[in-house]
Amino acid sequence: MKEILLRVRDLAKHFGGLRAVDGVSFDLHVKEILGLLGPNGAGKTVCFNVISGVYAPTSGEIYFAGRRTDGLPPYRMAALGLGRTFQIVKPFANLTVLDNVIVSCGVDRYKNLLRSFGSWTDARTRHRAMELLEKVGLERDADRKAGLLPLGHLRRLEIARALAVGHRLLLLDECFSGLREEEIVPLMDLVSAIRRDGLSVLLIEHNMRVAMKLSDRIVVLNHGRKIAEGSPADIVRDPVVIEAYLGRGGHGHAA
Amino acid sequence: MGLLLEQLLNGVAMGSIYALVTLGLALVYGILRILHVAHAAVYTVGAYLGLLFFHTTGSLWLACLGAMAGCAALGVAIERLVYFPLLKYPPYVPLIASIAILLGLEEICRLIAGPYILTFPAELPFPPLHVLGLDIPSPVSAIIGITAVILLFLWFLTTRTETGLAMRAVSQDLTIAGAMGINSHAVVTFTFAVGSAIAALAGILVGIYYNQVYSTMGSVPAYKTLAIIVVGGLGSVPGAVAASLLLGVAETLLIGYAHIPLPRDALAFIAMIAVLMWRSEGLFGSR
Amino acid sequence: MNDYVITVATFAAIQAIVACGLNVIVGYAGQISLGHAAFFGIGAYASALLTTKAGLSFWAALPMVVAVTGLVGLLLGIPSLRVRDDFLAITTIGINFIVEAVFLYVPFFGGALGIGNIPRVTLFHMRMKGPSYLILCLIFLALVLLLCRWFTRSWAGLACFALREEETAAGGMGISPVRFKLLAFVAGTATAGLGGALYAHFMRFISPGDFSFPVSVMLLSMIVLGGMGTQWGPVLGAMILVSLPELFRPLMEIRFLLYTAILLVMIRFQPAGLLGEASLARRVLAKAAPRGTGR
Repeated sequence: MKEILLRVRDLAKHFGGLRAVDGVSFDLHVKEILGLLGPNGAGKTVCFNVISGVYAPTSGEIYFAGRRTDGLPPYRMAALGLGRTFQIVKPFANLTVLDNVIVSCGVDRYKNLLRSFGSWTDARTRHRAMELLEKVGLERDADRKAGLLPLGHLRRLEIARALAVGHRLLLLDECFSGLREEEIVPLMDLVSAIRRDGLSVLLIEHNMRVAMKLSDRIVVLNHGRKIAEGSPADIVRDPVVIEAYLGRGGHGHAA
Repeated sequence: MGLLLEQLLNGVAMGSIYALVTLGLALVYGILRILHVAHAAVYTVGAYLGLLFFHTTGSLWLACLGAMAGCAALGVAIERLVYFPLLKYPPYVPLIASIAILLGLEEICRLIAGPYILTFPAELPFPPLHVLGLDIPSPVSAIIGITAVILLFLWFLTTRTETGLAMRAVSQDLTIAGAMGINSHAVVTFTFAVGSAIAALAGILVGIYYNQVYSTMGSVPAYKTLAIIVVGGLGSVPGAVAASLLLGVAETLLIGYAHIPLPRDALAFIAMIAVLMWRSEGLFGSR
Repeated sequence: MNDYVITVATFAAIQAIVACGLNVIVGYAGQISLGHAAFFGIGAYASALLTTKAGLSFWAALPMVVAVTGLVGLLLGIPSLRVRDDFLAITTIGINFIVEAVFLYVPFFGGALGIGNIPRVTLFHMRMKGPSYLILCLIFLALVLLLCRWFTRSWAGLACFALREEETAAGGMGISPVRFKLLAFVAGTATAGLGGALYAHFMRFISPGDFSFPVSVMLLSMIVLGGMGTQWGPVLGAMILVSLPELFRPLMEIRFLLYTAILLVMIRFQPAGLLGEASLARRVLAKAAPRGTGR
């Protein structure tokens, strides 16, 4: 058996009467790309937010990197090597693009108050952040203010920041949406390369073609529950999945 | 028992005054999300204008009307010339501008009317009441009565008229309301006019009640009303009224009656911080 | 320089120190505070009490004064974590009124009369007054500016900038909002404590009114006018707002009105501050400026 990095058991998150996530379980292996799919409102992003610590779960358990992590705040999850992007991009608008990435290079500095008094303006940090920017193709925008970038660039900035934080797991929340075709291919290559470097990826994706091509396995949610799990080839043939997508007005941009 | 009831009534009168001043603040916050500290200066100007018109015309009614019209114009001027151009900046920018206006208007009042406390020798046209063997002096009944009328008027305005509907739409979202064909800026202006006119009335009532009009009479209300609208849930008008009455009664009973050795004006803020720690959206807030 | 100019300059230097502290809280960490004068006052009272009642020297008292003010800042900062934006603004106003009321009503603090006969600062048996005290204040101001510069280049400072810009994203980068907001609060209030101590031994008589809410407004106005989050903004703001009333002194009656009018005009037409982004000064200096750190 492959080593398990993230284990989610009976996870539930209710908002008042709304059961956004309702008893979801799945495993994510080391060096695996797992796609999290489902129609709009299926609970994917809420699931992400519970795993990354933005919400405490109503019930259920999460194990990450060998320890139980449900209820830990986001900054603790980041310190454990979980990097994430946000579906609605959240740049540090008044900082430069480079400084945005440098912020996320400080994960282990923020853990210790004394170490957080060290300088971030040294050449090594700058060099590392530049490398990350080159990976996502933003090196030429390094000195621009992040708030001035177009959406496609901001999505890539989000990935660069998540890469700096997540040395174990990346949660990518629809990071391909709003990108042009010629931007998508290099980014897919990047995600594949990340996995080869030893990282695991949990992916929410609306673009079916991207999800099918990138994912090793796929988990499909609907109404907060898991309705299918399997290889991309199995998923596209699963009648329950087809029903869930087509029955709700055809969200599937079929493969 | 009788004394307690009398104190309670005094507290309600005090709370009514707070409510009249706070109303404008809550209306403005609800619609522009600006802490309109200068509202207290509008209230001060209202008291001075009322006194001026009272001396020139001899009629309290004309004095009220004149002061209300003058303050409505002042409020609209503040909104058009200062707040509206600053809306796109962080909230502390209009806040500092507002404090500058407050201090400036207080200075203008002091320079024109002099640094002395003026008297307001008017009689409120309300009879002293005798209810349940209780004497309600004329100023107390007048303040409570006038506040009730104003509140009824506002309730009618916001729930039963088209203007009120537009006001509520704009307070939900300024730009969306604009897109829906509502003249947002006109509604904002109208809100300032109404709130400022009510503040003028409050200024005159307080001037007569204490028989005092002076340039810094707005200083304490300026900040106390902030605490009140927080307790009431920022921007909620019913919440602001309830919090005002609560504070008026609490101040009168706790400090005036139970002799708790606490500065009267600090009570509002202590209550506010206690409420915030318990419910960070205020007592009646929902957002 | 005559005595009068030295007095005004000393006061401006002290205000600049306090404004630098506020800049850490508001400009760096984005936590609006309208109660900074309370901490200025706590520093002044602590130093005054330690030197008059406990008989300590200024220098022996100073570390305690800074620590006590920072500690109170920490305690009062904790409730402030629960609220944001306008709620935070009003909460800090409340803190100012309550602290002033404590000075006024608790007899230990001398009531409305305050504390008098605060000794002058002595250094190497020299009693510092006039020019020498101005130099002392300027040295402290330089020290504070160096610390601010160091802070903006530290990871902790960067964490504060990130929290100011986007708190959720900052959390995802490993930044604890509680830790770094409180750090900014403690650093900012401790700096105000230093300013308060310098003020107490400069005036040699303090009363609650010196630390009332309008002083907080003035301090916030200084950093807004000078340029929020910039290195020199608080200094420039303090120089302008302290010297304006003095320049207008010949105008007698209308000088305070003119002062508020100028404050209003500046905030209305240069809301990002004189050294802030897109300001007149910035545009002129743009070509020569190196890569910025904060805003």
